[in-house]
Order: sequence, then structure tokens, then C-alpha cells
Amino acid sequence: MNHVLNITATNTPAVVERLLQVTRYRGYELAGLQLTPRSDAKSLNITLTVSGDKPIHLLTSQLHKLYDVQQLELVSAELAVLSA
Amino acid sequence: MKGAELVLQVLQQHGVDSIFGYPGGAIMPIYDALYQSDVKHYLCRHEQGGAFSAIGYARASGKVGVCMATSGPGATNLITSLADAMLDSVPVVAITGQVSQAVMGSDAFQEIDVLGLSLAVTKHSFMVRSVEELAETLHQAFAIAKSGRPGPVLVDIPKDVQLAEVAYHSEPATAAKAAPIYTSLANAGKARSLIAAAKKPMAYIGGGVHMAGAMPQLQQFLAANPMPSVTTLKAMGSVAKDNAHYLGMLGMHGTQAANLAVQQCDLLICLGARFDDRVTGNLQKFAPHAKVIHVDIDPAEINKVRFADAALLGDMKQILPAISAGTDCADWLSHCVQLKQQHGWRYDHPGERIYAPLMLKQLSERMPDNSVVCCDVGQHQMWVAQHMRFSSPRNHLSSGGLGTMGFGLPAAIGAKLARPQDTVITVSGDGSFMMNVQELATIKRFRLPVKIVIVDNQRLGMVKQWQQLFFNERYSETDLSDNPDFVALAAAFAIPGHCITRKDEVESALEAMFTWPGPYLLHVCIDDKDNVWPLVPPGAANEEMITEAQA
Repeated sequence: MNHVLNITATNTPAVVERLLQVTRYRGYELAGLQLTPRSDAKSLNITLTVSGDKPIHLLTSQLHKLYDVQQLELVSAELAVLSA
Repeated sequence: MKGAELVLQVLQQHGVDSIFGYPGGAIMPIYDALYQSDVKHYLCRHEQGGAFSAIGYARASGKVGVCMATSGPGATNLITSLADAMLDSVPVVAITGQVSQAVMGSDAFQEIDVLGLSLAVTKHSFMVRSVEELAETLHQAFAIAKSGRPGPVLVDIPKDVQLAEVAYHSEPATAAKAAPIYTSLANAGKARSLIAAAKKPMAYIGGGVHMAGAMPQLQQFLAANPMPSVTTLKAMGSVAKDNAHYLGMLGMHGTQAANLAVQQCDLLICLGARFDDRVTGNLQKFAPHAKVIHVDIDPAEINKVRFADAALLGDMKQILPAISAGTDCADWLSHCVQLKQQHGWRYDHPGERIYAPLMLKQLSERMPDNSVVCCDVGQHQMWVAQHMRFSSPRNHLSSGGLGTMGFGLPAAIGAKLARPQDTVITVSGDGSFMMNVQELATIKRFRLPVKIVIVDNQRLGMVKQWQQLFFNERYSETDLSDNPDFVALAAAFAIPGHCITRKDEVESALEAMFTWPGPYLLHVCIDDKDNVWPLVPPGAANEEMITEAQA
């Protein structure tokens, strides 16, 4: 099942690697990734789409702990399709 | 001043008096600044040892441990120790030199992507890009290492940043403070109801309690809510020695009383622990009748492996008084006391040869109050947990989550420097001891009076035990019968020692070791056939323990 995460993160050199490392280690597959710098270039808007059989809270609770993650919002897969 | 001098100023601002490290090309400016600094540097003989010493320092004292290494191989040698600190939630700041930014990314000499390597083994990591951000980054590193659930933080500093000039006036007020802990007591009422209604409550205590500074609150909670208790490996020493309802360690090599009682309980109160697989055995069959109250500072641990009927997040010191409800479970308490008596340890081992559990019990009874015992990993580690008694978790340093052989000797160095007034003992195995044996040179150099007890069965004992039980006695690569002469090895580092083989030599040998004022190595030879019991076999429920009698 796909899950869509909307993330606001500090624009540090390793931030995307950190997100992907946690996603892989915790047992989810990457299904999509989009990022755009915000106007001040200090933060990034990231849309991370992952798939996995485990409950998604096991991933979001770990991503929340990353220091570069400012905000994290779980959007259901269906909603993401509708808004696309 | 230079960036390198700023590093030492900031360390001093954070109260750092001891650091562990090893110099090299890319960190030479910081070592040059150290030359005239008040910060005491302890030269390890391998960066892994230095970082383990920082961990031992942190765990014995409750302060942040600091280690340093150069770029490339210096930094990669830190990785195992950082992983150890990560899994055992130990506050450590590691500072690594990096090649100059001008050559970064060109596969320069001793260049490796340390920031990339750090991702899986640190709580957070930084690469400092300019000297202007150096002070703030170091302040953040200390704040992150000790805030919330503690952990290791790495700061990679390119050589040009160390050499750059910067105006810096240390102002203690500017030091980043640890983020305040958000505590939610929303589920306290539910937890109190569960405790008040429980007929068979059980406290399952982990390392998070003492790390939160909640040892007094724990004793008060257990006094106001009488219930049996068990601890994890990291929490040994959390429950007062005179608490009659303490059942010992639970899990794969836990006591029979602890495992049986946890399997029977109807409410499991998990305090600062994380349902590790070495604790639960077969997760589906773990504490099958129990509702769960889970108290932790890390939200990611709630519902990670076991559903919590009531979860409380935040500061253990506030939460424990808030969930106190009073218990009424006299029958259950007496049942657990009976389990404890019925399954007590037996030390009536036949023959002349030394029985490690008995020897460790004798060591435990003979060591001065508040001694620190640092273990390595394997059979001796489990025997220490089973047969020695501690008055605080800060007195029992054992590599729990990562299970890192080679931990004990360097951790003891750090513990001795953190608490010079207390006796520090390493209990190691003949396999583990050789993994960081070079740190004997550190003990020699600083004349550290660390007592070293090697429990030698001429085997990689725990692997051998599993080969015997689960791999048809095919003893692949676990025979160490060509070990070096450990007493002669110690002598090469000016450390006196003695070798014993018989039970009747133990008391006088321990006496001699503790009487000697300096470092000392006691080589204890045991039978290679002795194994650690009880044992929960892989995949089994915790009540399905194999005991020595059955084996």
C-alpha cells in the first residue's frame, strides 16, 4: 500500500539521504520523491511516497525524530490521487 | 583565535574535562590547540577503544562523553562504538577531522564520506562548512546528545575550518540548552485504573528510568504500589537490593522466576524499556495475559513491537508519581516470592575446577561498595548479570543493544577516569579481551588502577554453546585453545597478574587483586563445558527455558 508524506525539512546537505535511509532501514520502499526549495531556500518541501505492508506509524514516528524534519503530514494514498 | 582553539573553548564551556582520542593529519590543528589546553586528553591506541572509553565515561558519570579522531581510518574506526552508543542511548559527542574543503570530494588522502557513514549510527551528525558556524554547531551537538532519549552526535570539521581565524568570546548563556521534555499525562488516569484493577501486576524496568534520573521515583512507586519487578540488562541495579519482590533480569538468559512471573502477569508496566527481542523471546507468546502500560521518552518506541493499552510519553520523574494507584495483590506477591525461592541459583558445582557463577558471586560480595563492573560480551557477560549485584545501573556497564565484544576494557578506562574514587573492574572473556587488548597501553600510560578479570574457557563460549545446542556440535572457529599467556601479556604492559584454575584459589586471588594498589589482571581458567543457564531457545516462549538439569 502506498502512503504519501508531506514533509517540510531544513535544507541541509544530508537531509534527503536521512529520509531515504530511515525509509529503507525501517522496511519501506520508495515509490516517489519530489522536492522543491521554499522561497527562502532554507527549507525544502518534500513529498515522499512509500510502500510497505507494515503500519505507516512505524515509519512516521522514526522520521519525526530526524532533526532536519520540521513538519510531517501523512496524506492517504487515495487523497493524493484525487489531488494530483 | 583559530577554529581549533574555539573547539576546546566550547568543550570547556560544556564542562568537558576529559576527552579520548587519537591524532592524525586532518585533526592536527585541534591537537596543536590541545597542547596548551586545560582539557585532559587520554590517548587511546585505537579509535574504537577511545570511543568506548567515552561511552564508559558517560555511562558511569551521567555526563556527555567526548572522543576525537582524524579523517578516513580514524573516523571509520569510531563507527562501531557510535553504533553501540546509539543502541544503548549513550550521550557521546564525536569530533572528527576532515580534509580541507578545497580537496573534499576528490578522493583525497584519508578522505572518506564520514557524514554519510554516520547516518545509521548517530542520533544526528554535522559537517561544519565555515568557522562562523562552528561554535553554534558544537553547542547543538551537546544539546542533542543529552536531550530526550540520549545518543551519539558526530561533528565533522574540515581542516581549513580548524585553521580559520574567528572572533569568539565564550558566553555560557549562548550555549544551546537541551530542549525541554514534553510530558503528557493524558493517559495517567487510564494507567491508574489498570494498576488498581490488576491482580497480577509486574514492573518491567529498563535503562530509561535511571537515565531520566528517576531512581528515587521508582523506589517510591514500588513502595506505594507493591508489585514484583524485573529488569533489563541495562537496568540491573535499578531496584533496591533489599526489595523482596525483585526477581532479577528477564529474557533469554533471565532468571526462571522473572520469566515465569512475566508470562503469568495480567499487567506489564514497561518503564523506559523497548521490548527487545532478547527480552521477549517469541513476541506473540510474550506475557500473553498482560495488558501493557508503556512509559518512555521516545514516541517511536510506543506500539513499535507491543501494543500499549496506556502509553505515557515524557519525563519519567513526573510520570511515575502520576500513575501511582495502590495495588492489592498479596497472593500474587507471595506466589512470586515462592517462584524466586523455588528457582534460586545453585552454586554446588562438583569438582575442583572454578565455577564462573560462583566466582562472580564471590567477586560481587568482595568488591567495595559502589564498584563499577564493565563487561564484555558473551557467556561471562550473562553470568555477571545473573550472579553479581549492583546498587545502581551506573555501576554495571554492559554492551546491551549492539552486543559489542571489546567493550569492557576501554569502557573501564572511561569509568575509572569519570569516578577515580571508585573501584573499577573489567570482567572479560578470553575472546572479547583480545578485541581491544591494545588499550592495556592506555592503562599503563596513565597508571589507571583498573582490575581485570578474564574468564577463560579457551572458547568463543556463547557461540560454542549455540553450536552445541543448535548446530549439531559442529564447533566451527570457536576453539581459542592457543590463547596467549594472559599474565605474561599483562606483564608486557607492566601490569601484574596471576592465574588460577581451582575453586580453593579464588578467595585469596580476589584478595590479592583488591589489595594491590594498581592495575591487576586475574586470569581465571574455567571448564569449556560450562554453559549459561537457563536459556530460552530461539523462537520459544520465555517459559520454555532450557535449564542445566534438562541439558
